[in-house]
Amino acid sequence: MAKLVVENLKYRYPLAKNLALNNLSFEVKNGEFIGMIGPNHAGKSTLCQALVGLVPQFFRGAYGGRVMVDDMEASKVPLSKLASKIGIVFQNPFSQISGVKLTVYEEVAFSLENNGFSRSEMIDRIDWALKLLNIEHYQDRNPLSLSGGQMQRLAIASIIALKPEIIVLDEPTSQLDPQGSEEVFKAVGNLCTQGLTVIIAEHKMERICKYAQKILFLHQGHLVTFDTPYQVFSHFNLEGYGINAPVFTNACKKLEVKLNNGFYPIKLDEAYRKIGAYYEHR
Amino acid sequence: MVIYMGPMGLYQSNNSILEKLNPITKLLYIITVIALSIIIPAPQMNLACLLASVTLLIIGRVFWRLIPFIGINITVLISIIVIQGLFMAGNKTLWFQIGSLRFYQEGLCYALNLCLRVFNILCAFAILLLTTKPSDLIESLVEKGLSPKLGYLLCAVLLIIPQLVAAMERVMDSQRSRGLETEGNMAVRIKAYLPLIVPVVLSSLINIKEQSMALEVRGFSSDLKKIFLNQQFSPFYEILIQIGLLTTITLALLRRLFLWLS
Repeated sequence: MAKLVVENLKYRYPLAKNLALNNLSFEVKNGEFIGMIGPNHAGKSTLCQALVGLVPQFFRGAYGGRVMVDDMEASKVPLSKLASKIGIVFQNPFSQISGVKLTVYEEVAFSLENNGFSRSEMIDRIDWALKLLNIEHYQDRNPLSLSGGQMQRLAIASIIALKPEIIVLDEPTSQLDPQGSEEVFKAVGNLCTQGLTVIIAEHKMERICKYAQKILFLHQGHLVTFDTPYQVFSHFNLEGYGINAPVFTNACKKLEVKLNNGFYPIKLDEAYRKIGAYYEHR
Repeated sequence: MVIYMGPMGLYQSNNSILEKLNPITKLLYIITVIALSIIIPAPQMNLACLLASVTLLIIGRVFWRLIPFIGINITVLISIIVIQGLFMAGNKTLWFQIGSLRFYQEGLCYALNLCLRVFNILCAFAILLLTTKPSDLIESLVEKGLSPKLGYLLCAVLLIIPQLVAAMERVMDSQRSRGLETEGNMAVRIKAYLPLIVPVVLSSLINIKEQSMALEVRGFSSDLKKIFLNQQFSPFYEILIQIGLLTTITLALLRRLFLWLS
């Protein structure tokens, strides 16, 4: 299984004055679900692109440090070769559709066709990916006729079909309605239970708290902290960084209601239980 | 029957015999029809090819879908007939006269032959475009040695107009909800549509960057040989058809050469 190591990563876009990524170092273990948070312009998208090699192979600019995916250095190994280890899903589901395939089934095949898989292998992988993302019943539909949530799941299936060991999702639900967002998070959570390492940049804190095992907190290109959600949401003044913790966590903070381990509740059921107990006690 | 999203291209699956043919065979048919109409420019040849194409379109159950395209062309062709009948340089034999306007037979014959040729080519192309999935056509060409990048470009071009129309409708709906007047006479419509062109083009350009990144991470630039999910087979009878079409072009060329030498 692939391990992701980032060492002293720095990056500045061409013609930009400031570093978009400033000396980032962290390590992601196999099978972890990492939530990447931070305000706008924190460097989340740039980091996502650096993890899969798009920075600096697609976007030029000043680049330093390194990203290692197993024994492959992301800045040096061709993107097509990296795709078998690490995949990325972008914000806009519409722009991730190849535009040349007329069915969902063929759209998933597009990645596999490019990478020279045999037809029998393709069919096995497509069936597996469609089932995993729960879109197998749309396989004969035109990709452009799907809803946002379905289309984003198709984009994930297209990447997953290459069987990468790490998947990076750059705000995959930012353009989706609540139902579409939940569909995507459920699908991603399902991938993690299958052993995949998931790194997801997201603004929806309730969902991050529900799924993530660790939080990568960025601000102005710097790594503020890389810790468990309980640590991050209990010990950091997130509002000072322009981030809102889940509403129920904030409520618990106001009431000074903590879990037995000393952290504030970050999941709805925990908060519900604790706040209930608080009022009963009063 | 699989129905693909209506406005997303000319092709619609109907499981016909023509649909099952290898796209290369249909492409060869177009080449043959065009070559024959150039090598043997006689109206009889154009008429024979046109009849063959119409028969194939009927067999392929797509002839009715060609009618709107004929309708679009017919106004242009009528103007060609009128202009050639009235003003062609070689006009001699007067056919009829309305006031000072004299209509000649030579111009009419020339224009009719030209119309026949246009319909002929239109029908031949319709066989390919109405019965072939764009991706199948491009994949067949890539398998024959066409660059995959050029193939993608060609396929995207075949599908881009319906996608732009869809984008235009999205922008139009959002502008309409903000009070833009789009209904009414021609002047009102032009006034409404012109400002929409910029957002449509800009949004398409913005999408291109992300789309090209998405293609890269899906291995589009990979050096590995592409293997397509839908393999295009050429059964023995299709190879015979292909040989027959190539032989027809060769025989027509030889005949023309023989006539030229004699």
